[in-house]
Amino acid sequence: MTLQSLAQILASGLLMGLIYALIAAGLSLIFGLMDVVNFAHGEFLMLAMYATFGIFAATALDPVLATPIVVGAMFVLGAFVYLAVIRYAMRAKANIGMVQVFATFGLGITIRGLAQHFFTPDYRSIQTSWLAGHTLDLAGIFLPVPQLFGAVLSCLSFVALFFVIRRTDFGRALEATREDAGAVALVGIDKNRVFALGWGLGAALVGIAGSVMAIFFYIHPDVGSSFALIAYVTVALGGFGSIFGALAAGLLVGLVEAISATVLSPSMKAIGIYAVYLVVVFMRPRGLFGNL
Amino acid sequence: MNRREIILGGASTAAVLGTTGLHAQQPAEVLIGAVYQMSGASAQVGVDAQHAFDTALDVINNVHDLDLPLAKTAGLPGLGGAKVRVIVADHQGDPQKGRAEAERLITREKVAALIGSYQSAVAVTISQTAERYQVPFISADNSSPSLHRQGLKFYFRAGAHDEMFSKAMFDFFDALRQKGHKIETLALFHEDTIFGTDSANAQQKLAEERGYKIVTNIKYRANSPSLTAEVQQLKSADADVLMPSSYTTDGILLVKTMGELGYRPKAMVAQDAGFSEKALYDAVGDKIEGVISRASFSLDLAAKRPSVGKINELFKARSGKDLNDLTSREFMGLLILADGIDRAKSTDGEKIREALAATDIPGERTIMPWKRVKFGPDGQNLDADPVLLQWVGGKFVTIFPQSAAIAEAKWPMNT
Amino acid sequence: MASQELPGRDSSAVAPRAEAGGRERERIDHDASLGSFARRRHRKLAVAALTTVAIALLPLVIHDVYLQNIIVLTLMYAALSQSWNILGGYCGQISLGHAIYFGIGAYVSTLLFVHAGLTPWLGMLIGGVFAALVALALGYPFFRLRGHYFTIATIVVAETGLLLMLNWDFAGGAQGIQIPYGPDSWAHLQFARDKLPYVYFALGFALLTWLVTFLIEDSRWGYWWRAVKDNAEAAESLGVVVFRSKMAAAALSAFFTAIGGSFYAAFVSYIDPDSVMGFQLSLLIALPAVLGGIGTLWGPALGALVLIPLTELTRSYFGGSGNGLDLIIYGVLIMVIALARPEGLTSLFGRTRKARATPQARANPEARANP
Repeated sequence: MTLQSLAQILASGLLMGLIYALIAAGLSLIFGLMDVVNFAHGEFLMLAMYATFGIFAATALDPVLATPIVVGAMFVLGAFVYLAVIRYAMRAKANIGMVQVFATFGLGITIRGLAQHFFTPDYRSIQTSWLAGHTLDLAGIFLPVPQLFGAVLSCLSFVALFFVIRRTDFGRALEATREDAGAVALVGIDKNRVFALGWGLGAALVGIAGSVMAIFFYIHPDVGSSFALIAYVTVALGGFGSIFGALAAGLLVGLVEAISATVLSPSMKAIGIYAVYLVVVFMRPRGLFGNL
Repeated sequence: MNRREIILGGASTAAVLGTTGLHAQQPAEVLIGAVYQMSGASAQVGVDAQHAFDTALDVINNVHDLDLPLAKTAGLPGLGGAKVRVIVADHQGDPQKGRAEAERLITREKVAALIGSYQSAVAVTISQTAERYQVPFISADNSSPSLHRQGLKFYFRAGAHDEMFSKAMFDFFDALRQKGHKIETLALFHEDTIFGTDSANAQQKLAEERGYKIVTNIKYRANSPSLTAEVQQLKSADADVLMPSSYTTDGILLVKTMGELGYRPKAMVAQDAGFSEKALYDAVGDKIEGVISRASFSLDLAAKRPSVGKINELFKARSGKDLNDLTSREFMGLLILADGIDRAKSTDGEKIREALAATDIPGERTIMPWKRVKFGPDGQNLDADPVLLQWVGGKFVTIFPQSAAIAEAKWPMNT
Repeated sequence: MASQELPGRDSSAVAPRAEAGGRERERIDHDASLGSFARRRHRKLAVAALTTVAIALLPLVIHDVYLQNIIVLTLMYAALSQSWNILGGYCGQISLGHAIYFGIGAYVSTLLFVHAGLTPWLGMLIGGVFAALVALALGYPFFRLRGHYFTIATIVVAETGLLLMLNWDFAGGAQGIQIPYGPDSWAHLQFARDKLPYVYFALGFALLTWLVTFLIEDSRWGYWWRAVKDNAEAAESLGVVVFRSKMAAAALSAFFTAIGGSFYAAFVSYIDPDSVMGFQLSLLIALPAVLGGIGTLWGPALGALVLIPLTELTRSYFGGSGNGLDLIIYGVLIMVIALARPEGLTSLFGRTRKARATPQARANPEARANP
């Protein structure tokens, strides 16, 4: 293998890794807030991609400009899902872990069915946009512009997320609610409101990922399942609840995937990711940066 | 379920009342079971297949001035003008469910025959079930060669299988070589399913036999989130011909990723599947101008077989899409099956099987480029000549074999 | 009861403690009145015997192979979920990777049958033992992991198994393995059209897993597992050999799951990696227990009884339309049961269970989320 193709593999792995990290961020945020693993996360991603596609098809608005609209819509969706479903799952007096897993799992199947019902199972894709088809050529190393855009958005999202959690009232309310939901009620914080906003934020993050991915990926009702498992492994690898962990793990997963596709056989590249996950959790049972 | 049965019962009673006066002993309706994936990643194929069957039923049940089996009459004359109806069942891509649905269709719905199933793994269990119940199964759009080698009596396939398709590709390469083009190295790119591995195995064998060098043979996981590393390997190998065997999703991602990594293959000859889907060309068509795909069908055949254009119009009115490689075979499969039932003059499985085994339809009476439809003892039609199509200027043109071609191949695709 | 494994930091953590309190009382009950306890056990056995006889007589009324097929699948998933329940329910180790044991069972017995002519009766025992050994080997490092880390590790291992099988050409790779079509035979567990033998095998399998669960529920192991689930640290300090009891649960659970895989292979007579090792299968193995009542004796059977016929019928009667209706029904059903009956469908019947939960909930208004 030439040095150039090695550099290409690493660069592509990093770009993909930042997108994995962005998908995982929302999952990790929701988990950190209330111990719920959202098994409908892949379907959220799918909906965001359809939303971007729908806006593009209806108004020819470029996906780059549509991103804020999609993110806003996903925020509303996330908050709605909390209020309509998750709130009730939190009330379970027994088996709460399994109730949450299967309530969100059932939700995911329902969303997939609804998508098939309303959007038909046809494969969609956005054919022309400002970014699509452009590639930066740095001395023979190709960096596709849509992925670069995704990587930049991913970095910005993480910075913004740190800022929101550390510096805003909302972030402090999140932090306080995750520490002690009972006590915050005493100081006048509505727990449900905070959780709903947390879910909205989590869905908005996956909305960013979805609107970028709509530019370079195909769209159909099952597309989320390709990413869901990687997102769960990424979150666990980084440590549940750790935003920084999601970023680090996303990059690691992207790199490991690219390298093991080259070293192992491409059909077994996921085994590389799985092996890294197992090795890490055997050494650090709480993931790379988990503090739970 | 109950309500449905009542409705069904009502419908068949009405049908019986409508015809009993004339043909008391004849079945009012002949049922055929279609087993497809109607939900999940390949649901699109199932939904399209349904439109293809509806088009075929239109041709069978109504009078059309077309030179196709059963077109000029309404219903099946051999069964007193009985109408044909298709019941679609969902196998969800799961062999066990395919088997259960085949059993249900045979034992509960009393279908006279089965047609299916796109996924080859499911075709295995459906064909076995059909054999056990002695009901014919038309494998309309499965291309795995292992299927007709199971030694089953009730299995029929009118279309070509992967080895025949791959042979056409290598015949084409040989012809190009004779014209002085340099074709030495091949890169295989195939998914890790039955379809992908069967296709790659056939190609590997043919390459060895005919003296082509396979420089890279990449098996990838279907529906991968990223194909970057895979494409990087293809790019490094830079073979004379890239030969993908991919479904639509991975096909789209492959082409997009090639563009992103600046890989322009010298030539691309695809094993159908995703590369016959309009969705792929809608997404990335301009990036792979000149790609060649094997096929069982091409629209420009209309110049030689006039019914092609008319059937395409009927299909398009239903689905909003042009006929493609899969839907054409599904359409033709149902027509061949209905023709067999008509000649059997019975809905008895064994009689239909005998009639199907005696099928001899000349190619001109199909919408396919086939020489004719005549099944061998293993149920495979050996005269299902595949064609190679090239994507030029936003549509497919037939470039091989010479007898069907309407244009010279543009080779290589990229210089 | 996964909440033990997923330590809640908010009010939800109250709920498991309430459960544990209830158990305590059950244990005191148990010591105080062994007589009534024994009567309850006898009654359970009687219910099981009656149910078995009723199901055994069912095929006399239902001749339709499609319905018989649903009966076989329901019994098979009841048994599989019962096996899963040993590790997931009683021991509290939530595995979503049981498909690997199922796949091992299916592949071992099928490979031995196709290549060596070994009857699947022996093949399934070998497959079961092999799966149990794999479970022990995996359990050694895995049981250090908690909660979602453990669950995701099980998913990851099953996915690895799937990828390896897809790439292992001797075992058929993606093409899978077809059991050659032969005459009906009990020795080969092959029947061309007849579903009755499969109904009775699946019934026997379901009964066996039920009996095993019934016996261990009241055994030393059963108490250990519940102790492990309720509070691993405390159990350790009390001298319970936490690790060994988890290993035993994993081995037992894997053994029976593999038997189910061997049965499936004989029943469908074709296996390929996606259908016997896919992630969907892992979910389907766990789902009946979760919906019926996790860690309960009747939960898996009850869950399978609701889930399997419903999914089969919706697929058959709504799936053909291709408009996603079958998925919507399936998804909503899971969601509704999970939300409305968090303790599982068995809680509809259990008087004692309800009586136990209510005062706790009343005493702890925080346990219910804000209205």
